[in-house]
Amino acid sequence: MKTSIRDMLYEEPGPKTRKNIRIFTILSILLIAALLAVIIRQFAVTGQFAPRYWNFFTRWTTWKFLGQGLWVTIESALTGAVIAFVLGFLLMRGKLRRNKILHAVSVCLIEFTRGVPTLLLIYFFFLIVPQTGIKLSAFWKITLPCAISACGVVAEALRAGVNAVPYGQTEAALSLGLTETRLFYKVVFPQAIRFVIPSLIAELVIVLKDTTFAYVVTCADLMQNAKVLISNYDAMLSVYLVVAVIYILINYLLNKLSDRLAFRLKTGTAERSAA
Amino acid sequence: MSISALLSQYGDRYLQALFTTWKLTAFSFLGAFLIGILVTVLRVCPVKPLRSFGDFYVQIFRNIPGAALLILLVYALPYLKVLFPYDVCVLIATTLIPSAFCSEHLMSGINTIGVGQIEAARALGLTFFQMIRRVIIPQALRSTVLPMTNLMVATMLTTSLASQVPMRPMELTGIVSYINTRSAGGVAAFAISAVLYCATGLVIGFAGALIDRKVRILR
Amino acid sequence: MSQENTPVIELRHVNKHFGSLHVLKDISLQVKKGEVVVIIGPSGSGKSTLCRTINRLETIDSGDILIDGVKIPEEGKELASLRSQIGMVFQSFNLFAHMTILDNMTLAPVDVLKIKRKEAREEAMRLLERVGVADQAHKVPAQLSGGQQQRAAIARALAMHPKAMLFDEPTSALDPEMIGEVLNVMSELAADGMTMLIVTHEMNFARRVADRVIFMDGGVIVEEADPETFFSSPKTERAKLFLNSITAH
Repeated sequence: MKTSIRDMLYEEPGPKTRKNIRIFTILSILLIAALLAVIIRQFAVTGQFAPRYWNFFTRWTTWKFLGQGLWVTIESALTGAVIAFVLGFLLMRGKLRRNKILHAVSVCLIEFTRGVPTLLLIYFFFLIVPQTGIKLSAFWKITLPCAISACGVVAEALRAGVNAVPYGQTEAALSLGLTETRLFYKVVFPQAIRFVIPSLIAELVIVLKDTTFAYVVTCADLMQNAKVLISNYDAMLSVYLVVAVIYILINYLLNKLSDRLAFRLKTGTAERSAA
Repeated sequence: MSISALLSQYGDRYLQALFTTWKLTAFSFLGAFLIGILVTVLRVCPVKPLRSFGDFYVQIFRNIPGAALLILLVYALPYLKVLFPYDVCVLIATTLIPSAFCSEHLMSGINTIGVGQIEAARALGLTFFQMIRRVIIPQALRSTVLPMTNLMVATMLTTSLASQVPMRPMELTGIVSYINTRSAGGVAAFAISAVLYCATGLVIGFAGALIDRKVRILR
Repeated sequence: MSQENTPVIELRHVNKHFGSLHVLKDISLQVKKGEVVVIIGPSGSGKSTLCRTINRLETIDSGDILIDGVKIPEEGKELASLRSQIGMVFQSFNLFAHMTILDNMTLAPVDVLKIKRKEAREEAMRLLERVGVADQAHKVPAQLSGGQQQRAAIARALAMHPKAMLFDEPTSALDPEMIGEVLNVMSELAADGMTMLIVTHEMNFARRVADRVIFMDGGVIVEEADPETFFSSPKTERAKLFLNSITAH
C-alpha cells in the first residue's frame, strides 16, 4: 500500500489524469535531457573534455594525493567532532544545572557558538590568536574553530535527548536510592545518547563541510591538495568538479546513515510501545 | 586595539558591513524560500522524472560544502564561459544551499499533516487545488515557522562565504580579515562582528518564536 | 432526479485487490433512500474498504458503483461534486487541525457549494447545536475531546446536505465513555430519515438502529438480514462464530 505522504496527496488517477501524467513525464524527460545536452555542449565547446584535463585521474598518484588530503579532512572532522562532543556535553550539563551562574554562562556560550559563522572563528584562530603569541599548527587552526562552532548545536541536541528520556525513569532510579550524578550517568544519559545519535551524525556532516575552509589556514586537506593538483595540471574545472563530487558523496552517505538510524529509532520505539 | 579606537577608525565600515550582511541574508533567504517551494512542488508532483530531479537537486545542495560551491562558481565556471560578478556568485551560493534545506523543512511540514485530513478534504468534495490551498499549504507553512527561523539564521551564517571573494562592500566576516591585514585589530575587531552576528540571530530567533506562538497548530 | 425505487447507493459485482490480496470479492449491495444499513464483520473482512470505495477513496478493479443510478466518475470536478453529495465520517475524525470547528464546518459549503459565508456560519451553528458542541465552535480540534471531535465531524459532513452518509468505524478510536454520545447523534440522524451505511463494531447499536445488517468475512458478504433475524438466529456458521466471539467476553 501507499506509504509516503507525497503519494497520498494524489488519489488513484483516472484515465484522463493518467494520460496527462504520461504527457508531462515525456515532456519533463525531454526538458531534463535538453538541460544535460546544453551542459555537455558547453563542456565540448569550451574544450573541457580535452584529455589533458582528465587523463591524470587515471594515474594512481593523483588519487593517492587526493586521498592524503581526504585523510586530513576526515582526521580534522573527526577530531573536531570529538572535541565538539566533549564541549557540547559540558555546556549541556552546565545549562541543566540549577546553579544560576553556571546556567547563564552555558546559555551564553551555546548561543554565541551557534550565532557566529565558522569562518569568523577560523579568522579568529588564523589572524587574532597568533597576535597573542600562541602558536598553533595549521591542523588545529582549522579543527578548533570547526569544533567550537559545532559544540553549541551538540549541546542543544544532547539536551533534547536528555529531555526525551521519560521522567518515570528518573523517579524510579531516585526511589531506588541512586544519587543524582549516578542517576544521570547510569540511567538518563545512556538512553539520551541513543536518541541523539542521528543528529550527532548530521552535525558531523556540518563539521566536515566547515573543514573545507582549511585552505584559509593552508592546512593540507582535500580542498588544499586539489589546489595543488590544479596548479600542476592547469585543470581547474575538472579537479574542482571531482572534489565537489567527493564531498557530496561522503556527506550524502553520512546523512543517509543518520536518516536510517533515526528511522530505526522511531520504528523501534513504536514497536516497543505497541507491544 | 581597543573597541573605541576600532569603532572611531572603522565604525562606518562596520555599519556598512552589518547592512551588507543583512541585505545578503534577506535576499538569499527570500530566494531560498521561493526556490525551496518550487523544488518542493517538483518533489511532490506526480511526474516521476520531475520528482527525481527535485530530490537530486536537494541532495546536491544539501551536501556540497559552501566553499566548494563558491569556488566552483567563481573559478571553475568561467572555463565554461559562464562568468558572474563576485557578488552574484556569492548570492547564488548563499541562496541555493539554504533552498535545499528549505525544501526539506517543507517536506517534513507536509508530512505532519497526515493522510486523514487529506481524505477528509477529498470526501467533502474539495478539488485537488482547493485541498492544496486550504489544507496543505496553510498547515505546512504554519508548522515550519521555527525551522524556517533557524534556516534564516543559518543563511546569515552562510553569507560569511562572501569574505572568500574580493566583494565590495564587505560583510561582517570579511571586515575582520580586512582590518587585521592592515593593523592588529586583535580580539576587539573579532568581537564587534561576533556581537553583531549574535544580536541579529537573536532578533530573528525572537521574532520567529513570536510568530510561531501565534500560528502554531495544536495537535 | 432519482425515481423512488432507484437505490441511493448500489454496488454491482465489485472486486478489489491489494496486491495479491483479494479484499472485495464480487460484492453486490443496495442501500435505498432512508435506509440504515450496518456492516459488521471481523477486522480484515474488507468492510472498511467497501465503505471507502463508495466515494472512491479506494478504487475498484472491476464492477460498478452507482449513486442514484449514475456511475461514480473517475476523476476531476465530477468526482469532487459527487463526493460533496455523500457525507463521510472517519474513524480518526480528521478535522482540519489548523482551523476552528466553525471554520471546519464552513470550508466546504463556502468553497464547494458556493454558499455565502454568513449563511454557512448560521447553518453551521445550527448543526453544531444539534450535535451538542455549539459551545466549542471557536476552538481548534485539539482542544476538544474525541467524542466532541467526532460529533463535530458528523456536523461537518451534514453541512453539505448529503443524500447519504458513510460511517467508517466512527467510534473505534473513542474512549468507552464517549462512544454513547456519538451513537446518540447517529441514532437521531437515522430517526430523521437519513440514508446511512455504517461500518461498526457496536452490536447493540446495530440491533437498535439498523434496517438491515450485512455480515462480511474474507471479502465476501456472508449474510444479509434484518437485525432481529441476524442477531437471534444467524444462518451461517461463520456469523455464529463471529457473534459468539464478540459476546464471549
